[in-house]
Amino acid sequence: MIISTGNIIKNYKMGKVIVSALRGIDIEIQKGELVAIMGPSGSGKSTLMHILGCLDTPTAGKYFLNNEEVSKIKKAKLAKIRNKEIGFVFQTFNLLPHLNIQKNIEMPLMYSGLSGRKRAKIAKKVLGSVGLSDRLKHKPSELSGGQRQRVAIARAIVNNPSIILADEPTGNLDTTSGNDILSIFSDLHTQGHTIIIVTHDQAVAKKANRIIHIVDGLIQNGNTL
Amino acid sequence: MVIPFKESIIVGFSDLWSRKIRTLVTITGIILGTMSIIVVLSLMNGIQKKTMEWMMERGGLAKITVRRDWNYESPTNEPKVFTLREINLIKSLVPEAKYMNPVIRAYIKYSYKKNNYWGPVRGVLTDFSAIEEWDVEKGRFINEIDIREYSDVIVIGTKVKEELFGNEDPIGKWITAHGKRVQVIGIMKHRFMENSGAVGNDNALSYLNRRCFIPLSTMVRKGTGNDEINSFTVKAYDANSAPDLREKLEAIILNLRHGEPVFRIESAQEEAEKMKQQQLIFTIIFFLISAISMLVGGIVIMNIMLATIKERTREIGIRITVGAKRNDIFFQFLIQTILITFLGGIVGVFSGISILSYVSEYLKIELFANAFTILIAITVSVGLGMVSGIIPAIMASRLNPVEALRYE
Ligand SMILES: Nc1ncnc2c1ncn2[C@@H]1O[C@H](COP(=O)(O)OP(=O)(O)O)[C@@H](O)[C@H]1O
Ligand SMILES: [Mg+2]
Repeated sequence: MIISTGNIIKNYKMGKVIVSALRGIDIEIQKGELVAIMGPSGSGKSTLMHILGCLDTPTAGKYFLNNEEVSKIKKAKLAKIRNKEIGFVFQTFNLLPHLNIQKNIEMPLMYSGLSGRKRAKIAKKVLGSVGLSDRLKHKPSELSGGQRQRVAIARAIVNNPSIILADEPTGNLDTTSGNDILSIFSDLHTQGHTIIIVTHDQAVAKKANRIIHIVDGLIQNGNTL
Repeated sequence: MVIPFKESIIVGFSDLWSRKIRTLVTITGIILGTMSIIVVLSLMNGIQKKTMEWMMERGGLAKITVRRDWNYESPTNEPKVFTLREINLIKSLVPEAKYMNPVIRAYIKYSYKKNNYWGPVRGVLTDFSAIEEWDVEKGRFINEIDIREYSDVIVIGTKVKEELFGNEDPIGKWITAHGKRVQVIGIMKHRFMENSGAVGNDNALSYLNRRCFIPLSTMVRKGTGNDEINSFTVKAYDANSAPDLREKLEAIILNLRHGEPVFRIESAQEEAEKMKQQQLIFTIIFFLISAISMLVGGIVIMNIMLATIKERTREIGIRITVGAKRNDIFFQFLIQTILITFLGGIVGVFSGISILSYVSEYLKIELFANAFTILIAITVSVGLGMVSGIIPAIMASRLNPVEALRYE
C-alpha cells in the first residue's frame, strides 16, 4: 500500500467561521494504480491532493505514505519526499516565468543536489520524452498551454517519483492538447508510476483503475469501483 | 542538506539579472555609502600622512617652537622679543633640551656682481641645522668659531644661489648682504615637498630655499644692530619627552614675562596628537553619519526585499512543492540580498577609488584606499545585506506552500 488515509479532516478558519474542506476521508491506493478523483468544484479535491502531496497537513486524521505516518516525519525529510517521491502537476502549470524550460525542469534535481552537468543531461532526456527537445532555452511564455503542461509534467517526473499527483491538469487546455497530456499520464502509468489525477473528464475516468467521487468533503462511492 | 552555496549564488545572480532595474535601485544607496567610506577614510589617512610628513620635514616631533603670540595684547608692554642673555638663561634652565636655537629675522638685499636679490635672512646658532634636520649640500654650515668670532660668513639657499650665481660655484665667493661683505661658506640642501591644495606653488617648501643664514652674533653686532630675538626652537632628546619640556619652557618664559603669555610654545608632538584627536573625532562623526545613512539604506533594501518576496510568493510555493527545504528558501533570499549589497559594495569601492584619483589630483595629496579601508567598506556592505536580508528571508522561508501557490 503506497497511500492510505484514516479519517482525514481539514478545516480552514476564515475569521470566525470554520470551513470544513474535508470531513473524514479514508482512501487506500496501491502501488501502480491510476486513480481518478472527481467531484464538483469546492468539494475538497485540491485540499486532499495537497495533503497527499505533503504540502499541507490535515486538521485531524492519519496519512500513511509508504506505511509511514506523515505527521511524524521531520520537515527536512518531507522536503526530500516532495523532491523524490512525489511529482505534482497543477492546473495552472506553475512554471517559473523568468527561468527557461531547462532550468524549470532542473529545479527538483537542483534541490536533490545534482551537479549542473548531470541536471542538464537528465533534463534534456526528460524533455525529449514529452516531445519538447527543441524548446530547451525558451521561456514558458513562449510556449502554448499544452506545451507548458508538458514541461510541468517533465518537471514532475524528472526525479522519477513513484507517485504523480495531477490536479485538473487539463482544466486550462483545449481538447486536443488535453488529450496529449492524458496520453502522457497513460504512458507514465504503463511505466509503473502511481498516478492520482483530479479531473472532470469522463475519458480520463475511463482509463483509471477506479474513480473516487468526492462531494462536500466526503467520499461518495467508497474505495471500490 | 541545503543546496550548495554555489547554486544559491547562481540562482541569486540570475534573479538579480532578471530584475535589473530593481537591483539597480537597491544597489544605488550601497554604492554611494561604500563610495563615501572609501573616499573619506582615504582622505583621512592621506591628510594625516601629509601632516606627519610636513612635521617630519620641519624638524620632527621632538621639536618645540617658541614664538610671539600675535593674539595676545600685553597691557603692560612686556617685551615681545628675547635678549641673548635671556636665551642663555633659559638654556641653562633646561638641560633636557638637546639643542636650542634662537632666531633673528630680517629681510635684506643681496648682491653679487650685477645680480640683486631681496630675501629673508636668519641669524642662527649651530644647533639650527640639527633642530631642523637640514644640512648643507655643499661647503659647511655655521660653526662655533663663526659664532665666537662674529665671522662674516653666510650659508645660502638654493634659490638665492640660482638668482645670484646661476651656474657659477658660490663657495668662497664674497657677496654683499645688507651693505656688508660676507663670504659664502655653504649652500643648503634643496627642499621640496609636493604642495597640497589646488592653489599656489608646486613646492610647499620653496620658502625655505629662499633663506640665507648667518651667525647670530654677526647679525646682532653687524647686521640689525639690536639684540632682539624673535623666536627660538628647542629640540628634546625624543618626541615622548617633548611635551614635558614644553611645559617647563612655558613656565620659565611665563615667569620671565611676569605671568603674561606673550609667547606661544608649541611642541610638534602635541600638535600631532591634537591633530590625530581631531581626526579621530571627525572619523567618528563621519562614521555615525554613514551608519545612519546605511541604516536608512538597509531599511530600503529590506522593504524592497519584502516586496520582492511578496511578488515571488508563488515561486516560493513552487520551489517548496518540488523539494526546496525551508533553509533553501531562507538562504536563497538571504544570499541574494547579500549579493546585492556585496555587488553594491564592489561597485562603490571601485567608484570610490576612481573618484579618489581625482580628489587626489585636485588636493595634491597622495590618496589611496588601503586594504583595510577596502575591507571595511566591503564588510559594511555585506553586513548590511545580512542584517537587512534576514527578516525577509525568514518570512520567505516560513510561507505556507499551499497558500503561496494560491497567491496571485
Ligand atoms: N486556504 C483556504 N482557506 C480557506 N478556505 C479554503 C482554503 N482552501 C480551500 N478552502 C475551501 O475549502 C473548500 C474546498 O476547496 P478545494 O479543495 O480547493 O476544492 P476543489 O479543489 O474540489 O474545488 C472550499 O470551500 C474552499 O473555499
Ligand atoms: Mg481544485
